[in-house]
Amino acid sequence: MASYAVRVKHDIARWVERGLIAPGLAQVLADDIDAHQRKAFSFGSVLAILAALLFAAALLIFVAANWEAMPRLWRVGLVFAALGAGYIGGAVLKQRDHSAFAEALWLIGAAGFGGAIALIGQMYHLSGDEAQAVLVWCGGTALAALALRSGPLTVGAVVLADAWLAMLALDFWGSTPFPYEFAAVALVLWAVSYWTDSKVARHLILLSLDFYLVLLAIEVNMFVVSVLLAIASAAVFAFAVMRPAEAERIARLDGRLALHGLIGFLTGMTVMQFGMIDELGALVIGAIVSFAGIAAALFFGGRDSRAVRWIAYLGFGCQLVFTYVVTLGTMLGTAGFFLLGSATLAILAWVIIRIERRVNAPAAPEGAGA
Amino acid sequence: MMRANRLVIAAIALSLVQIGFLSWMIAGRAAILRNGAEVLLRIQPVDPRDLLRGDYVVLAYDISQIPAAVISNVPEGMTVTEEGPIYVRLAKGADNHWNAVSASLGKPSATPAPAGEIDIRGLMPGGWSFSRDTSVRIEYGIERFYLPEGEGLAIQNDIRERPFSMLVAVARDGAPQIKALLDGDTVLFEEPLY
Repeated sequence: MASYAVRVKHDIARWVERGLIAPGLAQVLADDIDAHQRKAFSFGSVLAILAALLFAAALLIFVAANWEAMPRLWRVGLVFAALGAGYIGGAVLKQRDHSAFAEALWLIGAAGFGGAIALIGQMYHLSGDEAQAVLVWCGGTALAALALRSGPLTVGAVVLADAWLAMLALDFWGSTPFPYEFAAVALVLWAVSYWTDSKVARHLILLSLDFYLVLLAIEVNMFVVSVLLAIASAAVFAFAVMRPAEAERIARLDGRLALHGLIGFLTGMTVMQFGMIDELGALVIGAIVSFAGIAAALFFGGRDSRAVRWIAYLGFGCQLVFTYVVTLGTMLGTAGFFLLGSATLAILAWVIIRIERRVNAPAAPEGAGA
Repeated sequence: MMRANRLVIAAIALSLVQIGFLSWMIAGRAAILRNGAEVLLRIQPVDPRDLLRGDYVVLAYDISQIPAAVISNVPEGMTVTEEGPIYVRLAKGADNHWNAVSASLGKPSATPAPAGEIDIRGLMPGGWSFSRDTSVRIEYGIERFYLPEGEGLAIQNDIRERPFSMLVAVARDGAPQIKALLDGDTVLFEEPLY
């Protein structure tokens, strides 16, 4: 996001040059950008996080190698040392205002916790509970996020919760029960994300919930769950568009809640249509509802959000292809497929050009309503 | 400054809590090794592919399959297994190896194990068809043996040909813990407490 700050500063300089704003105001604006810039993710902090992830991988592989040259207790001690040094060293760096390296060290601490769990499993030849081990790791990471008020650790906990969900739910042939508890885990992590002020974690949790509900639909009932997902998502979208201020106060996603409403709606409609693939009537209704929903999303939410527009275009294209393939295209050959692709792209291009032209038209300036 | 100090204190507390939790896990396992009752279990020949999988071997024991008839408290009309704990009572056979003599679903049998018999806790996977004259598969959490790097080759031929044995310590609550891997009377790997 650094480029945004640079661009705005260029704009400000141009406005001063043209005499649009006073130099004093320009300074105030530039200072404001700098003040908020610090909170954003810079390239340096991304590299620091990557370095931490590599170190964490090294630690985990070191454990996995089961290296007998070093006595076990030494290995345990080494992993404990990495854990403590990560957490405490990170806190000291945070104190000295090295935020990026602090967060990176904290990730190493959390990796040490997971590595120690794996090491203990290896030391005592434990088997059968990998998913539970990942859940314990997730819990430890969430606790660390809470104690240190760390956004990246919150994201880490969400990723681990997702891994746990995938391990249990994608094991279709296994005998493990479906992880219904994921909903509760997601709720707890959502609460943690307010305290740690992590928007990334909240975005990830919402996407994870879509994934969870798709799995739940496969497990329980394709039709009921997917329709409920679509309806609930449409409601979220409507709420986000009609009451943007309140939606922002609750979700705190920089006004991107509508985007998640649309993604959830499209996910639900997709699963619903896959579930009804043998019933033409339901498919036609599903396609109509889906197209109507996409059109409504573009109409009500498209002007304010480029992301909503692009997801809507993507959903439109996929729906078009899906509907054609299952209703008309059973004898689809390669040539037909390319013809279809070309037609789809042409229609899509036409729709996008029209909508983007409307959005960018110097029409009514943004009023109070939206 | 106050806030910053508090952060360091929080980090120290967090480290102590997590290290404490991990140490508690280790202590629990070491306690089973130290105090648990020892049983010798027969290992079934290993699929050689498992030795190539990397760092551990997947093992099955003779007691990994038990006849459904020995389960004393099967609910009326059960046709599909439901996932849950199962307590298998072991008795020592003539060849020093221990075999399943009875089993109880959910909780240990009401009659305590007599001298010379031990209850071991396992998990019965759910979703398998069940009838009185079939056998059920049970997982004990000891089906994996981590080999030191490069030492799998040393045993891979023998373990395919003749059954090895595993010395397992069983805690009072039935939790098992691998103690030593044996080829006949020869101890191949023995686990230290820590």
